[in-house]
Parts: sequence; structure tokens; C-alpha cells
Amino acid sequence: MSALTPAARDGSATAATFDLARTRGRGFSDTLRTFAVSTRLGWQLEANWTDPLLFFIYSIAKPVSSALILVVMLEVIGGPASRSFRPFVVVGSALWSFVVSGIAGLAWAILEDRERYRVLKYVYVSPSDFLTVLVGRGVARIAVGLAGVVITLAFGVVALGVTFDVGRIDWPLLVSTSIVGLVVIIALGLLMAGVCIQTRQESWSYPEAFAGALFLVTGAIFPLTVLPGPIQAVGLLTPLTWWMAGIREALFPGGPDSIGGAGSTFAAWFGHLHPTAGETVLALLATGAVATLAALAIFRLSDRRAKRAGLYDRTTGS
Amino acid sequence: MAAGSMNLVGRAGAGPREAAVWSRRQVLLTDLRSVRGRAYPRVIGMMREPSWVMFEILLPFLATSAFVFVYRALQAPQEYVGFVVLGGALTAFWINVIWMMANQLYWEKSQGNLELYFAAPMHFMSILFGMAIGGIVMSSTRAATVLVIAGLVYGVTFTVDEWALLFGVFLLTLGALYGLGMVLASLFLVWGREAWHMGQLLTEPVYFVSGLNFPVARLGMLGALSVAFIPLATGLDAMRQLAFAGAAFPYGTPSPAVEVAILAAMTVVSIVGARWMLKAMERRARRDGRLSVRWQ
Repeated sequence: MSALTPAARDGSATAATFDLARTRGRGFSDTLRTFAVSTRLGWQLEANWTDPLLFFIYSIAKPVSSALILVVMLEVIGGPASRSFRPFVVVGSALWSFVVSGIAGLAWAILEDRERYRVLKYVYVSPSDFLTVLVGRGVARIAVGLAGVVITLAFGVVALGVTFDVGRIDWPLLVSTSIVGLVVIIALGLLMAGVCIQTRQESWSYPEAFAGALFLVTGAIFPLTVLPGPIQAVGLLTPLTWWMAGIREALFPGGPDSIGGAGSTFAAWFGHLHPTAGETVLALLATGAVATLAALAIFRLSDRRAKRAGLYDRTTGS
Repeated sequence: MAAGSMNLVGRAGAGPREAAVWSRRQVLLTDLRSVRGRAYPRVIGMMREPSWVMFEILLPFLATSAFVFVYRALQAPQEYVGFVVLGGALTAFWINVIWMMANQLYWEKSQGNLELYFAAPMHFMSILFGMAIGGIVMSSTRAATVLVIAGLVYGVTFTVDEWALLFGVFLLTLGALYGLGMVLASLFLVWGREAWHMGQLLTEPVYFVSGLNFPVARLGMLGALSVAFIPLATGLDAMRQLAFAGAAFPYGTPSPAVEVAILAAMTVVSIVGARWMLKAMERRARRDGRLSVRWQ
């Protein structure tokens, strides 16, 4: 019952043998290669076929329009007096487009491969780690989302009169919150990928719907203090709330705060009006760790159920 | 041979050539069955997978709520909250038109169904009508739920003087929206892989120029152009004027009666346009032989 041929067993030949070690792969270097290939594939699927100018327009139209909707809403009600609030909504809507790209990227990779290209089952049984493939596929959309953030912020400064001073940026806060926030967004994308494995083709809109719901509780476009207390508490337990607050404070130090303020749940819990930079990073780390672990656990559960129920083979349509 | 013909065409005594000559009644009944057949998976699918309640109703309601709280943060008059709620309800139809009408034929091509539609003995418009009717049922559920829940939760008071006109505007808006969806379905099919990004391009940017969360008149000339050419903008503005009669917000747009005329014209033009587009698409398909080639 040995896996080796008789010639191999007596040592007279090395050809035509089955090397069991190969099934174990080469560890981290394999993971890196899988990640690089799936990232490249994601980018090719996303952008290699279109005119660069058109692709640029596609990528920025959505976040810029979202910012414009909010700016007009401010103008309609507040007029010129509301302009101090513009950086708040421009940063919030720019960052939110990044959140949507990150969350949707991973979930759409599942739907594209299962429903459109019908290769999900083949990708799954390939020697590559499925989780690594999925994250790699999502990177392209994250990159596009990041470009959208930068361009929307630039549009805000150039066209909407948002005052921005590069010299005042709090770089340590910006870098630390950006890194942790990126991990959290990928984790939320993984969570939605787990959901989309279980649901059908029309799940295309689910990631955006999920992100839309988080939009309410994270202080993306208005301060949490206008929400009822229990919903503010949900917001404080959401890592994206702290991520947004951290980026805002890093880019526009001393600007309007989305978390604290008089009468806020934050002030009631912590005894002071506004979170410090350290508190923001610590809260982001704590809530982010919980969200990431929960997302991983849910994805694994969904993966196990999908294997048992044959969901990776399934294509739906309506 | 006679038995073979009967099996083939389902009518005793008719050969294939005779069977291919259909009466008007047969054509009409087949087209109506096709409409029902294409609407069926959309309507029945709602009952088969309840997750849509969460993702299509609850979460969009929360997203709409976010904009309500922006106005609350700004201490805006209550009718502006009503604008957001009405806009949030109408987005259900727009999203449905873009993703499940405009993109649908491209999807059908990717899934291999498009050639079956072309080969089937029915008018292709019946497929588009079936998609539209199924989509309207799906979206109406979501829109009505968002409208009722948000209306109750946020205390929106509708002041309607002309219910019949409001209902007529709503129906015409649906006609114009889904007519546009039928035109875009053929266009997106020709655009191929651009379709996905075109769908993205037609969401937030259209929300902005349609004045989804604010009176479209605030956009000046851009708003006027939107009212003239985008059914979402026209329908939304007319419904706001009728549902919040006497509210203190900037009008600057045509009266509901004029907007009814614009919507009616949009509906007729888009349905005629969709028919023409389908014919053009078929001609192109025959000429190039690429229509059913997937993933392009």
C-alpha cells in the first residue's frame, strides 16, 4: 500500500515517484504567490479591459457624487454658515466609498466566480488557500476605493473650498488608524463573503446594503450625538466609528468630532467630552480585534456549511 | 409521420410549416405567457429566500435613516425629512431598473440564457415586460416598507390635496423608469463588460443630479436638465410637490401637470426606443454573430 513504486522502494530509481511532501506545499512562499496571483487577477478583471480615462471616471464619480449630495444638503439648510462642517462630510463620504469598495470586493469575488465565470468550485479545490485567494481578489477594489478617497479629498479641497494644511497632519495617528482600519474593512468584507456564499445571485446588492446600515451608526456624515443613546452605544462598539474619527482627527486636527460632545454616550461612559488620539487608537484596536475574529469565525462556519451543502457548486439565477 | 408531427408541434394533423403560422391569438397568448414566465422567478423568488427582507428592506431603511439624521443634525424643517424618506423609497425602483433591468440581458448572456430567449417563439419585448413587472413587484414591497416604517418612525406627515394625480404620477414614473430600463438593457448588452461600471456610474451621480435628498431646483440648470431627461428626477419632484403641498421649499421646477406630460412623453419614447433598440441589436447580432459570446 505504499505510495512509492517498487523501483523507488529499493532505491534503484527516483523517477515516477509520488512525493508526499509536495502536497504540503511550501508554506509562506506559496501563500505569497497565491496572494500575488489573485491580486493580479482581480486587477485584470477590474480594469485591464477598459479605457483608462473611462475607468478613472467610473472610479471617482461615485464618491464625488456622494460628497456633493451632502454638501448640497448642508447648503440647502445651513447656507454659508454650514461651511465649517464641509470637511466633516467630505472626509466621511470619501472614506465611506473606501469602506464600500473593501466590503464589496471580497463578496463580489465569490459571486463573480460562482455565478458569472462559474469557476468557484475549481478555485476552491485548487491547492491555493481559499482565504488568501479571496483577500487577493478584493485588493484590486480596495486600491480603486483608495484612489477614490484621495481624489474626493482633493476635489473637496480644490472645488468645495475645504481648507487643508498638509503640515498639520498627525502622521502617527493617520498611519496607525489607517492600518488597523484596513484590516477591519477586509474582515467585514470576509464576513459578507461568508453571507454571499450562502445566498443567491441577487446578493450583489447585499454588501452595499450592509455598508449602508453601518453608515447610520458610524458617524460617517453626522455626529453620533444626534442618535438615540442605545444606537450611539452600537456605534461606539463598531470599529469603523473609531477609524473614521481617527482619520478625521489626523487630517483635520481640532475639527468637528463625530463621537463625543455634550450629552453624548461617549461623554457619559468616559467622563470627558472628546476622545483623545490614544483613546481612539485603543478603541479601534479593541473593537477591531473583536470584529475581525468574529468575521473569521463566521466565514469559517459559512465555508463548512457550504462544503456540506454543495453551495460552491451551485449557480443561481433569477 | 403524422404522430411525429403531432409530438413535434403539439397539434394533430399539422406539419411543422403549417404549425409555424400562428394566429394573432396564439401570438398574444404566447407573449402573455412569456411575460408571466419571466416575472415568475422574481416574484416567487421573494418567498423562496427570506434573506431579502433583511438586505432589501431593513438595511436600506437604515441607510435612508442616515440622511434623515443629517437633516436632524442641521435642525432642518420636518418636510426635508419627508423628502429623504420619499427619495429613499424611490431609490428601490432606480436600483432595480439599473441592476435588474439594464444589466439583466448582459447577465442572461453570461449565463447562456440569451440565445434561448432569441430562439424561443415569442416577442423579445415580452421578456422585457416580464422583467419589469417582476421588478416592480419586488421594488414596490421595498419602497412601501421603507415609506411606511420611515414615515412612522420619523413622524413624516404627508399633505396630499390631489391623490389621483399623485397616484397617476407614481404610475407614470414607473412607466418611464422601466421604459428607460428596457432601453438600457439593449445598450448595456452592446457595451458588454462596461455594463457593470455603467451601472455604478448611474447610481450616486444620478442620485445627485436628481436631487434625491434635496429639492432638485437647488441645482439650477443642472436640475432643470435632470427634470427634462431623468425620470427619477421628474417623478420625485412631481411627487414631492404633491405629497408635501404647501411646504416651504424652493420650487423653481415645472408644475406637477407639466411633469406629468414630461413623464408620459418619456414613457412613450422609451418603450418605442426599447423596441427599436431590440431590432437594432438583433440586426447586429446576425451581422457580427457575437451576441451570445459570453464574458465580453
